[in-house]
Amino acid sequence: MSTQAQDLTVRKSVVVDCSPEHAFETFTSRIYTWWPFETHSPADERPEDAIFEPGVGGRVYDRMASGEEHEWATVLEWEPPRRFVIDWHVTPGNPSTELEVRFLPEGGATRVELEHRGWERYGDDARDTFASYDSGWETVLRPFVEAALKSS
Amino acid sequence: MAYRNAMDALGDPTRRAIFERLREGAVSVGEIADELPVSRPAVSQHLRVLKEAGLVRERRDGTRRLYRVDPDALGELRDYFDDFWTQALASFKAEAERERRNE
Repeated sequence: MSTQAQDLTVRKSVVVDCSPEHAFETFTSRIYTWWPFETHSPADERPEDAIFEPGVGGRVYDRMASGEEHEWATVLEWEPPRRFVIDWHVTPGNPSTELEVRFLPEGGATRVELEHRGWERYGDDARDTFASYDSGWETVLRPFVEAALKSS
Repeated sequence: MAYRNAMDALGDPTRRAIFERLREGAVSVGEIADELPVSRPAVSQHLRVLKEAGLVRERRDGTRRLYRVDPDALGELRDYFDDFWTQALASFKAEAERERRNE
């Protein structure tokens, strides 16, 4: 493990005026309706669909019009409508970051708490996979993260 | 946005290779040119782009200039995701509440 002085974890919270059930479902099975593909997609073009399979081991991925698919994540923990954890593949087959989202009842609404963590996993290996990178933001992210962590 | 520049800068395979080399420690233009199939002027040009993107720092060591990865790049990465999730959650909230109103 690399030693890390900086806390890289991103923590966010937002109150949504709906039930935890509806918030959970919107975040997962209807991810395509709100995900900001314009700024954050593994491919250059907008995918035709994004699929969040429910349950532990479920895949999160997008599908292009051509039928090509890009893996985003795998479900690690699944407790609808309270929380889920996914490991977000920055590149397939390599260490992932972890995203936990919790849905807490608050009055008649829902507080959604998000934690994106695990960047320190990128400190150690991966030189040998460097040559296999192709285009897309993810492929750029990985060496960037590695380098930044190594240098800190 | 700094991170966007960083992504653009690392979009070039040669620059990624140079950046990768700098991970191992501070080096000069000549050392990079000796190790990679890239001319010195080209290495200098790539380093300039990496520097402008906030990924690489330069320091003088006597008559030599040495380049290394900028440790602040890590903070920029985190800031990028902080911004990203702010935007994504706003979009998520709007969608969740829109659907609910239509029920």
